Amino acid sequence: MAAVNHWNTTQHLVLVILGFFVAFAPRYLPIKIFTQRKIPEWFNEWMKFIPVSLFTALVVKDVFVTPTYQFDIVHHTPEIIASVIVGLIAYFTRSMALSVVVGLVSVFLLAVVL
Amino acid sequence: MTKQVPNPNEPKWRSTLNVAMPLNLSYIPIGLACGVLLHAAGFNTILTGLVSIFIFSGGAQFMIASMLTINAPLLSIVLMLFFLELRYALLGSSLSKYLMGTSERFKFIFAVSMNDENYAVNYLKFATDKKWTPREALMVEHYSLLFWTVSNLIGSLVGSALKIDLTVVHFALTALFLYMIIMQVKNRLTIFIGLIAAVLAVFFLVLTKSTLGLVISTLISSFIGFSLEHYLRHKKPGSHFLYKVRNPGSKEASAEEESDEG
Repeated sequence: MAAVNHWNTTQHLVLVILGFFVAFAPRYLPIKIFTQRKIPEWFNEWMKFIPVSLFTALVVKDVFVTPTYQFDIVHHTPEIIASVIVGLIAYFTRSMALSVVVGLVSVFLLAVVL
Repeated sequence: MTKQVPNPNEPKWRSTLNVAMPLNLSYIPIGLACGVLLHAAGFNTILTGLVSIFIFSGGAQFMIASMLTINAPLLSIVLMLFFLELRYALLGSSLSKYLMGTSERFKFIFAVSMNDENYAVNYLKFATDKKWTPREALMVEHYSLLFWTVSNLIGSLVGSALKIDLTVVHFALTALFLYMIIMQVKNRLTIFIGLIAAVLAVFFLVLTKSTLGLVISTLISSFIGFSLEHYLRHKKPGSHFLYKVRNPGSKEASAEEESDEG
């Protein structure tokens, strides 16, 4: 595929530099702020629910939402079935490596079959 | 059951590498695919390396590649990146209690290389392994950074000679996050919050038409979880919601074994 973008290297570099700043600020500021002072207990109790909420949101985005941000179940059957398989593997084996490998293999096979 | 006793003489670089390995391996196909796409979008190999080190975010790099191919203006790409990366604020906030007492320099370096996936690995370790230190967490970040960058570089060099089905390889990360969700489930309330988070995520992603939906839905559903737990613990301590969920294959909070099975 030929490059369809006509930016030059300098423009790409500018994009990387600006991208670094917008990626770094949200990474750094909360860590800096919340490790400086005594955090109230309720804040930690709230933050405790961040991982499960965020990971669920990320999975839902991958499985049920199209790149154009539409809700779609019909075209994602392989991913949905593979997700159930991964969930079971994770639950019963507690192995991250196994979950990822089985997930990849099953989504690959299901995409071929379905 | 195989014995899961960690070898006390094992050097830190080995034990942290074991922890990071499943993530490192899933980064290889995705990193290759990302490098190929950046190459197709006109990024040269050096810039692909730089973007992998300094932005270090699969989602962001895929977005850069796709927005460049549709010739989007610089400002709109940066703005989209900002919305996409805003969720890192949540990661930092929820890890901060484990990073208390580290130096300013450490926090800076830690923040530079933190992303969804190594956060997931580190959060699980911090939550289940009392001996897990910020320094080890940083090593996990750097291992994943190394694998990610090298895979991107190779992808960029090989270019379009490599055919990778992106939807398939991307599922490695989906599977990783699914695993992390399962590891987070401690009581019925967590499952309930997961369901709420799922519904809210779809709603806000479709509504905002951007990854900002991830941030909004995460903030709301985690806050619902917090409020509900607070209410139940004080008003209805016998509630069915607080029942613990059985964890097969692991005794209560010791989920350290995943590192030894890779």
